[in-house]
Amino acid sequence: MSALGPMGRGLLGLLGTAVVLAMLGIFSEDLGLSQYLLVLVATILFWTTQATSWNLLSGFAGYFSFGQGAYVAVGAYSTAVLTGRHGVNFLYSIPVGAALGGLLALLIGMVAFRLRGLRGEIFALLTLAVPFILAAYARITDWVDGGQGTTIPLPNYPEWIADFQHLMFLLNLAVATLAVGLALGVHRSRLGRGLAAIHDAEDAAEVLGVPTFRYKMMAIVLGGVLGGAGGAIFALQIGFVAVESVFNLTIPLFVIIMSVLGGRTHWLGPVIGATLIVTLQDRLAAGGLSAWSAIIFGGLLALLVVAASDGLYSRVRANPWPTLGAGVGVAAVVLVTGTVETVTALLYGMLAATAVAIGAGLLRPARASAASASDASTMDDEALPRPTPVPASEGPLVACEGVSRYFGGVRALEDVSLTVDRGEIVGLVGANGSGKTTLVNLLCGAMRPTRGTIRIGGRPTAGTAAHRIAHAGVARTYQIPKPFASMTVHDNVAMAVMFGRDNARLPVARRVAARHLATVGLSRLADAYPSTLNLHQRQLLEMARAIAADPTVLLLDEALAGLSPAEIDDAVTVIRSIHDSGISIVIVEHLLRVVRGLATRVVVLDHGSVIADGEPAAVLSDPAVVAAYLGRQRA
Amino acid sequence: MITLQAAVTGALVGGLYALMAAGLSATWGVLRVINLAHFGLILIGAYLTYQVATSWGLDPIATLLVSAPALFVAGALLQGAYDRLGVAGFNSLLMSFGLLIVIIQIATNIWTADFQRIAPELNRYATGGLPLGRLILPTPALIAFSFAVVLIGGGYIALQRTFVGRGMRAFAEDRNVAAAFGIDHRRLGLLLGGLSGVSAAVAGMVFALSNSITPTTPYEWFGTVFAVVILGGVGNLLGTLVAGVGIGVLSGLVSVIWSPSTEPFMLFLAVILALLLRPQGLFRTAGAQ
Repeated sequence: MSALGPMGRGLLGLLGTAVVLAMLGIFSEDLGLSQYLLVLVATILFWTTQATSWNLLSGFAGYFSFGQGAYVAVGAYSTAVLTGRHGVNFLYSIPVGAALGGLLALLIGMVAFRLRGLRGEIFALLTLAVPFILAAYARITDWVDGGQGTTIPLPNYPEWIADFQHLMFLLNLAVATLAVGLALGVHRSRLGRGLAAIHDAEDAAEVLGVPTFRYKMMAIVLGGVLGGAGGAIFALQIGFVAVESVFNLTIPLFVIIMSVLGGRTHWLGPVIGATLIVTLQDRLAAGGLSAWSAIIFGGLLALLVVAASDGLYSRVRANPWPTLGAGVGVAAVVLVTGTVETVTALLYGMLAATAVAIGAGLLRPARASAASASDASTMDDEALPRPTPVPASEGPLVACEGVSRYFGGVRALEDVSLTVDRGEIVGLVGANGSGKTTLVNLLCGAMRPTRGTIRIGGRPTAGTAAHRIAHAGVARTYQIPKPFASMTVHDNVAMAVMFGRDNARLPVARRVAARHLATVGLSRLADAYPSTLNLHQRQLLEMARAIAADPTVLLLDEALAGLSPAEIDDAVTVIRSIHDSGISIVIVEHLLRVVRGLATRVVVLDHGSVIADGEPAAVLSDPAVVAAYLGRQRA
Repeated sequence: MITLQAAVTGALVGGLYALMAAGLSATWGVLRVINLAHFGLILIGAYLTYQVATSWGLDPIATLLVSAPALFVAGALLQGAYDRLGVAGFNSLLMSFGLLIVIIQIATNIWTADFQRIAPELNRYATGGLPLGRLILPTPALIAFSFAVVLIGGGYIALQRTFVGRGMRAFAEDRNVAAAFGIDHRRLGLLLGGLSGVSAAVAGMVFALSNSITPTTPYEWFGTVFAVVILGGVGNLLGTLVAGVGIGVLSGLVSVIWSPSTEPFMLFLAVILALLLRPQGLFRTAGAQ
């Protein structure tokens, strides 16, 4: 294994490819490469930039956008207005286009991601509207367009560049390299991990300490910058910028197809997709089938959603040799026997490889589990970071004072005051609908109280985002587990270590995670994916993930619901050992047997109010509590 | 006076928005399918009206005899396909985006990218109006509004009163429980898809009465129609009608008070307001799936 990490190797490979392509481009005439090939590769590079730009938010984080055309258009109009109308050198209009693309993305993100309960579908529809609004604006605004369009003069370029097409090739290559390099960097960094967690389970990511709003904003702005830069170059390429030529649905259609086809979760996916789709489109046009290309691509998108929504990259990764063999074989056979052009032969090769990759996936749909056996347990345990010592401050860890929460007219919680002290296990009981889960949501910061204050470690949490509350030492589990589906059990827990209070890097986080998996007894399932776990194991995973965030207080929301008696006993043992490690616990539970056995104190909620708070034995025999819990007839 | 006239005309035109939104809202609310291809069906409906009226000289409203059954079948087939392939929610948005592109390209191949309009001598509904005091109710807008009231009102009553309608509402509330009580989602989906196809035929016909058609027209409907769907509450037919009329009045007023070119911004604003004020209007059912 080389000394370089995966990121270093990826970047090296990318830079090498870029340099080779640049050399091939610059010396294409001496090497006898046709101008046609140069233009084709430049087109692939343009679309690589756009698909990668789209993929940063929409692929990695799963917020699909139909608005890619807006960034391209903003970039294109930067060139049109600055270079076309005011004669500014295009080298300045490209960064301006990038900046304006970023600004537009910032605005979209500020509006969209501030909406509470924004769903992926709504984000998609919102982004669908943006290009049409901008198009309407451009059409009626004279200094931008005014409906006449703008001609862009042929740019000046240094002598060592042979001609205009070479210039376009090099510009597109530079921006595409930057785009793919950025995507690679994001993919391998904390940001990329966080975006993947947002993709899988955004609520869980936030309460585990992932700054979801900031990460989404970073992804959308990076995408906007790249899209705008690509658009500015696109304007030079087409030479005449009009509303119809830059605002159309071809751009979102293409970037979506490319990324879905190539694979959305990996930085290489959009590159694969762009190469394949652009070559296919070029051959369709050469074959006189241009009128059919939209039908073919639209149909392809519909088909991909059904047949291969995870994309080619992972399929090729699963069967690298058959895929490569089929591709090279078919391309060679066609090239030798047929009378077709080289590009057509290459396309046949790529299509054959695609068919094999998708076909193999359909025949063998089971996910090949990552085989890397973790030897984490043998690692030197002493080198690992220890849990952050609890600051020895006085006073309760958690304190609610007069907390109320209304949903419209429904009073879920009314004037609730309670505290959680160091070393306690507080049992929170009450009938369904009494406000227990709402209280948990308020404590972990997922919701804000309508009235009242909540203090964590003495500090009020008003206006604090949930991930900061996680960093202050509050972790929770969900009654219905929300694991990160695309990550192994081990990495689910490692995520929490990474984004918890330790801020650990991934290799360290993985080692710490192994310890937490051992605490809950999931070590043997470390390399499994959450979809293969049963409910009990998922609940244990929830607990492992929660303690991995290194909390001082752990909120367990009906962590035992739906378990068998044996599983409950097992879970109770785990909860005890978590408590023994120094974590205070709030447990929401219906099983009074468990509460009586575990809790050091019991708080009873009824219709949103605290009706009892004290010793378990005393509280649970209180007639008012029995009446509230079991119903008044039996009291 | 001009303002009042604009508001009244806008309210009547709002009927067209409601017609366009109704089918979309119903399949989204009941079947969880966000069917962008519905815009394609409306486009085909408009072209069918244009083609039949032009070729056979049929009265434009009578062209529904052709387009409504055709789009009933198309809508039902579409829902059947979504159901069969298990496509819903976000995937349906993606898949139907691909289908919409396909439909638009097919329309371009058949009818070219040029603007097409029913010849004035074949279309007695394009001009004229019904005087009401000093106001005039323009004929095409009046037709749009009447169809919207009849179709959406009828749909609403059917949902409330008929057995099938109750089945659909049950299905929208909780599909698993509904299935457990013997509601056949496949037949329900086919019927609902077919009916939304019919609504697309009517919307297309009404659009063709007073507008020129080009294959890319559906893109201009996106903003308005989704604003209507979301403001009205997904799956809520009466809400769709109210929202359609409201947005119609808004755009009518905006065009006379400021200028017609500010209309798209107001509609965009309406979408954002819709999202801010009624995010809970989306998917009325919550909790376990």
